[in-house]
Amino acid sequence: MEIQRDGLTKHVPGTGDFIKIDQSKCNGCGLCAKICIVNLWGIKDNVAFIRDDYKENCLECGNCYQVCEPGAIDFSYPAGGTGVVYEQG
Amino acid sequence: MNTYDIIIVGAGPGGSSAARVAAEKGLKTIFFERGRKPGEKNSSGCGLGPRMFRDFPDMMKGLTPEKCPSMRAGSAARCYFINEQDTVAGYLMSRPTESVSYEPAKSWITMNCYRSEFDPWIAEIATNAGAELKNSTLIVNLLKENGKICGVVDEHGEKYKAPIVIGADGAISMVAKQSGLRTKWSQDQITATLQYDFKAPPGKIDDIMGDETLAVWWSATFPASYQVFFNDGFHQGLGNWLNKWEKNPLYYLNKVINLKYYQRLLRILEAEPRELQSHLLPWLEYPYNTHTDGVILIGDAGGFPCPLEAEGIYPAMVTGKIAAEVAADAITSNDVSKNKLSKFDEIWQTTSLGDDFEAGEELYNIWKAMPFSPKETMTWFIPMLMEALGGIYDWSQPHPKRVRQIAAKIKSYMPQALPFMMKYVFPLVAKIFEDDLDDMMNPQKLMTALPKVMEMLPKKKKRRRGT
Repeated sequence: MEIQRDGLTKHVPGTGDFIKIDQSKCNGCGLCAKICIVNLWGIKDNVAFIRDDYKENCLECGNCYQVCEPGAIDFSYPAGGTGVVYEQG
Repeated sequence: MNTYDIIIVGAGPGGSSAARVAAEKGLKTIFFERGRKPGEKNSSGCGLGPRMFRDFPDMMKGLTPEKCPSMRAGSAARCYFINEQDTVAGYLMSRPTESVSYEPAKSWITMNCYRSEFDPWIAEIATNAGAELKNSTLIVNLLKENGKICGVVDEHGEKYKAPIVIGADGAISMVAKQSGLRTKWSQDQITATLQYDFKAPPGKIDDIMGDETLAVWWSATFPASYQVFFNDGFHQGLGNWLNKWEKNPLYYLNKVINLKYYQRLLRILEAEPRELQSHLLPWLEYPYNTHTDGVILIGDAGGFPCPLEAEGIYPAMVTGKIAAEVAADAITSNDVSKNKLSKFDEIWQTTSLGDDFEAGEELYNIWKAMPFSPKETMTWFIPMLMEALGGIYDWSQPHPKRVRQIAAKIKSYMPQALPFMMKYVFPLVAKIFEDDLDDMMNPQKLMTALPKVMEMLPKKKKRRRGT
């Protein structure tokens, strides 16, 4: 059985950009893609990219930021009062 | 300019605990929450132990099902053991034992509730004490004057000034980073933790789980997974250190969900997935760099989750309270230097939290090497344990023969088990019992004695009656 992720996360819009990747620092290791629970990262031409719709899907755990050894991923939190909401956290 | 005596970044249980104590001491206190209300960004459901009620009695007595409808307390815990074939090979249910000394702990082990209810409740205690709570506000930087930290700046550029800032802002702490205390955790100091919340009818949970409040699913194919029961639902989650994932964490959590046993449990509980959650959880041998001039880090921001099971609410509340007391004293004496604030470390080290961290390195090591190394350790540990627990249930052989078979099988695991015990178990036991075990810790004595003992186990038997 595969649990469908749709509907299992809730988000308040208006986050602004809160994850940035410095592609010149990225070594293409792919750890960000491996660790992201909601699969927001991909690797193209040996460089990581984040999905355009990440703001509506990100769980704000910071796994990608924490796992990135070369420090290519800059993570801050979304604007106050926006982003993921846990009702049963 | 908004001027305060103390600024607390974060309104989780640690931040609120600090805010409450600071306000009660008469300090002009503000604390900030980036969510619309405290708790809506947090995904580690509380399993509150009796120590919470022992150490924060006046506060905890106010926690009622009216305030916190998800509350569920219970006296039993279960360990499931899952082998390499993804079969539940056995389980063990247990209740508080006869050696439990604190009276209330004899009748319940944890009281569980959702953070979305607990965090606003505890924040309200702080605001009732006079602290100001600012919701929906992201603090993005520390305010500095001549290189000295003197407040914070929010996302709109609004400045807030105070001689002391408490960093209660979680695993990825802006306060830790901007104060120079820590840029980033190393990969073996922090765990990625994810969980599903399932909803289930309260009556079903009570009928099927009885007064079980939590379970741990120990496995040879995924890192140990915890299950925590609330009034109308439960969490199933797991975590591991950042450098220990071979595949996406969700792959391992879905392995739990897809166990045949688990699917059956979901069916009889009439459980439906309700939420998917993910967070980082610091888990380290010993907290360090917890303070500097004008700054104290508490809770997850300071690396305080318990080194045994990484529970973080109680350590956050203890360190929050101590930080506020130390800050109040520092402000009164007009000295917020790093040296003055080192009192924070001195005090938490004398609490039960300090006691836990005394064996922190050994607890951390054994935990990491065992339930969080499913392939390396649990693949032999679980079948070995199951031989001992359930091997006797075989009516195809005479019982004495069966016992010899079990002993021989257990003996066959010794090449893995003995080095493991030497490396992880004995250091922990020695740490806990200190000097009493000096002899046991002498590797030479141990290595000469153990093989002899093992040799004695399954030998060719002598016949009782004459030949």
